[in-house]
Amino acid sequence: MSALLQVRGIGWHAGPVAVLHRVGFDVAAGEFVAIMGRNGAGKSTLLDIIAGIRKPSEGIVTLLNRPLTTWSATERARIVAHLPQNLRTDMTMRAEALVLMGRYAHQSQWFESSGDLEIAHAAMQRCDCFQYRDRALGTLSGGERQRVFLAACLAQRPQVLLLDEPTTFLDIDQQLHCFTVLRDEASRGTACLAVTHDLNLALTFCTRLVVLAGHAVAFDLPAASALHDPGWLRVFSERLRVETGTAGVRVGYQ
Amino acid sequence: MTLTSKRLSAVWLAGSAAVFIAAAAFLPFVGPSRLDWVHVVQRQEPDWSILTQLRVSRTLLGLFAGGALALAGSVFQSMLRDALATPYTLGVSTGASLGAVLAIAANLHTALGVTGVWAGALAGAAFVLLLVMGAARKERRVSVSGLLLAGIAINSVCGALILLVLGLSGMSQSFAISRWLIGSLDAVEYPTLLIYVAIVTVVSVGVIRQARQWNLLAVGESWAATRGAHVTQSLVAGYVAGSVLAATTVALTGPIGFVGLVVPHVVRARVGGDDRLVMPCAFLLGGVLLASCDALGRVLLAPAEIPAGAITAFIGGPHLVWVVRKGSTR
Repeated sequence: MSALLQVRGIGWHAGPVAVLHRVGFDVAAGEFVAIMGRNGAGKSTLLDIIAGIRKPSEGIVTLLNRPLTTWSATERARIVAHLPQNLRTDMTMRAEALVLMGRYAHQSQWFESSGDLEIAHAAMQRCDCFQYRDRALGTLSGGERQRVFLAACLAQRPQVLLLDEPTTFLDIDQQLHCFTVLRDEASRGTACLAVTHDLNLALTFCTRLVVLAGHAVAFDLPAASALHDPGWLRVFSERLRVETGTAGVRVGYQ
Repeated sequence: MTLTSKRLSAVWLAGSAAVFIAAAAFLPFVGPSRLDWVHVVQRQEPDWSILTQLRVSRTLLGLFAGGALALAGSVFQSMLRDALATPYTLGVSTGASLGAVLAIAANLHTALGVTGVWAGALAGAAFVLLLVMGAARKERRVSVSGLLLAGIAINSVCGALILLVLGLSGMSQSFAISRWLIGSLDAVEYPTLLIYVAIVTVVSVGVIRQARQWNLLAVGESWAATRGAHVTQSLVAGYVAGSVLAATTVALTGPIGFVGLVVPHVVRARVGGDDRLVMPCAFLLGGVLLASCDALGRVLLAPAEIPAGAITAFIGGPHLVWVVRKGSTR
């Protein structure tokens, strides 16, 4: 089986400054990939390129065996959902109306059908935000709003789900809930790629870690074996240690 | 759309349309000289002429100008994600004003067969439109920040030029310019009104049909791009459409303030942030607001007239403060 998503030789320059250089990996259906790296490593840029928002300076992204550049925006939106960072917070729009935006690409009618509404409600229930459906987005807390945005991504019924730091603003219980939802989504066959800084969340829930450093993929390894070979931790900090305790193997720091 | 919110939308739309039609029927009878129904039906002079030649065209101009400004404001507020955006934010209306002011200062009564002020305003608007578009484009893409920066920069340049022209022109011109810059409604000839109403209707329907794109852009550019919107095309279309609405209106009425800022806010606070409902309601209610303000201005200090632009500012300013204090705005 060929990969759902192929990233080949991607380069991206901001003027003369190289941000990404020859980045490449394949993602199959059902994988849950953590995109990691230090600040400025190009994680968000890479996610934007895969989402089709930015054009790479070089290289090619292939989705379902077709170059991403040949997909129309609507076609792409039926397959790929993307949750950006820093979304607007001061909106009077109701949470349910926002989640229904996930259905825009799937039908051309002015108003969504009752089928679309059912899909939106199911997504809101999975993200634990159904109770906010009639609230204006501006009245929700940051974490509550983030769950609504995630529900909008699920309502899009994507085959590829791209998330840029989805656990920003979430309390610890909600972080665990969010990654559980994403793991479920991956087990249903969606390829999930999440940018995250939380090593233990990534190790617990993801199937694979892609670590960016020096403009390229420095490490690409299965999450299950990542702690047996902890050299990749040096990318983040010299102070990280693998600890074995009652809670199992975890990354700790000194 | 749930069943209840669909029904609620229908109620809001039908209600707004009913108020719009009621205003069109009732407001022409408001004015310094009382009109008698019986005289009008019997086509007796001067009642018949006052109604058909002056009041009806003026009321229709108010309804469509208010609608155009409110809709242009809604589009700019959504696509620029800026609660303070108005039809005048991106410079086109100031460009139109500059053109009109130059025409007044140069005593240009007619140009190319149309009124000089009209021709000047449209030329000024078109010039600024091209200028802003050229400045905002970067690598064949247009971004919100690019549009805002270019628009605000050119806005302030045009504003400075207006002050310069005002300072250099003689007494009578300078009075006419100041008067024009307040913004007011006046009776217009029916052919002119017909062209204006046709342009506003076509552009407004086009804008409202794209309401889902405005909803997406109101959340964010990346958000819109990955949900099927064509961001650059939509931004350009929204900018051009909003500018056509604002510029044709400013050409006829002068820069009437506050309708484009206040009406979208108030409507959004009432009906929620979905532009599929906000935009048509803002158009209809914005029209009613401006036409009513104008009718009020005709009778408050009769026989003197208060310009509609001054009344909208008097009513709009405090009302906006009230809405914001209630904390229900965007």
